[in-house]
Amino acid sequence: MNRQVYLDHNASTPVHPEVVDAMLPYFSERFGNPSSVHGFGRAAREGLETAREQIAHFLRVGKEEIVFTSGGTESDNMAVKGVAMARRSGHIITSKIEHHAVLRAVQNLETMGFAATYLDVDGFGMVDPDALRRAIRPDTILISIMHANSEIGTIQPARELGAIAREHNIPFHMDAVQTFGKVPIDLDAFNIDLISFSGHKIYGPKGVAGLYIKKGTKMVSVQHGGEHERRRRAGTENVASIVGFGKAIEIRARDMAEEAQRLTTLRERLWEGLSRRVPEVRLNGHPTQRVPGTCNVCFRHVESESIVLGLDLKGIGVSAGSACTSGNVEPSYVLVAMGVPLDWAMGAVRHSLGRSTTAEDIDYVIESTEPLVAKLRSAMPARA
Amino acid sequence: MRYSPTLIDHFRNPRNAGMMRHPDGVGEGEFKECMDLVRFHLRVMAGRVVEARFQAYGCGPTIAAASAATEVVAGASLLDLLELSAGEVEAAVGGLPEARRHAAEVATLGLRAAARDALSRTDTRSERDA
Repeated sequence: MNRQVYLDHNASTPVHPEVVDAMLPYFSERFGNPSSVHGFGRAAREGLETAREQIAHFLRVGKEEIVFTSGGTESDNMAVKGVAMARRSGHIITSKIEHHAVLRAVQNLETMGFAATYLDVDGFGMVDPDALRRAIRPDTILISIMHANSEIGTIQPARELGAIAREHNIPFHMDAVQTFGKVPIDLDAFNIDLISFSGHKIYGPKGVAGLYIKKGTKMVSVQHGGEHERRRRAGTENVASIVGFGKAIEIRARDMAEEAQRLTTLRERLWEGLSRRVPEVRLNGHPTQRVPGTCNVCFRHVESESIVLGLDLKGIGVSAGSACTSGNVEPSYVLVAMGVPLDWAMGAVRHSLGRSTTAEDIDYVIESTEPLVAKLRSAMPARA
Repeated sequence: MRYSPTLIDHFRNPRNAGMMRHPDGVGEGEFKECMDLVRFHLRVMAGRVVEARFQAYGCGPTIAAASAATEVVAGASLLDLLELSAGEVEAAVGGLPEARRHAAEVATLGLRAAARDALSRTDTRSERDA
């Protein structure tokens, strides 16, 4: 059997064994509804509030400022729509490389009469703070810019962006799904009003995420029902997963700095090996200001999916930068926004490293990629 | 996406990949939406394909379909090749998921074009020889 190497941690991560242990009692013994007043409910509520404290502690904020949701997508929708709808009209600034959860939420608001500006990024995928400053209008009601993009890992200059938002007294939302628990986030220094973060990117379970809402932020609920989460997000909380999420961030707080260093070294080893052994390969994203475990590369004149399939047959899990759906293939909108030429962008492959990744894994990926790309290129027709 | 063992085998070990010196027919199939491109070179004797070789740019199923198609058409008459259906190529890779059906189509388009090219060369030769 092939060696198994999972290099898709930006998509999802395995649940940490300590997280599983923390969650298990909440499926059978502490199964109550946390809104119930009886002992069964109180037991569940205790787990829920402990997790809220763990996350608030990590972010150094008040626990009443944390709202649990079902995923990063819901957190982003809640932030963007919740802030916009509280103001009924106005202008929103975001970037062209946001996650679809933000992009499509903003596009949806445009259909309701809101205006929007989508900021360009440079060749590294970085938003220019001066461009943000220039985009601000008297009616700008929200700035939503991600901390790091999932495909390329480029970390935005959050401090500068936040300072501009604060200077103009505009709420600043940051989608931190790819950085939460991976790199330091200083909410005060970044002047952040809202951040989205998710559980399954940091060895927690899927289906749980959170939104930090700074006290005093004016917003409305986008999901209506009961009085859960201080009337900000209706629906019975996913207690077991939330407990796991709390545990996951507690573990990350312990391991984050050391792990970031280890993954950065491995990521460099991967890029160094690929660039030395495979002709016509380029690195996408910022060379240094990047999420530690992310290494996105383009193999010129090769199609992403054929590389993903070829590596899959070697037991390696990476993700394609272009996606073929029903005979339509689109290069990554992120790479397009960065100005990556099409003959390169079509061959984008993202490697995202994590806890289980070893130097031997990286060497195996390099050794597997070199002949695969050569073989695919050898059977490739020259275009007229 | 789940692929058949036959498809995986063709992707892993493509048959007849590459070009051919002085082919009797050359044809391309292109799927612009997907940027897939498959090119076939045919060697023909007495109106029948004796050898087909392919070059392909595309996802794994496209490479596999092109490889399998070269085996499907070996021995076939050029006139039959004009009638080749994507279903035959798809069957040769053990089926394709709905979202990857274009792989068989692009290979089929390429082979039909190569057959047309070979037939036109035959016609030209016949006219010249007459």
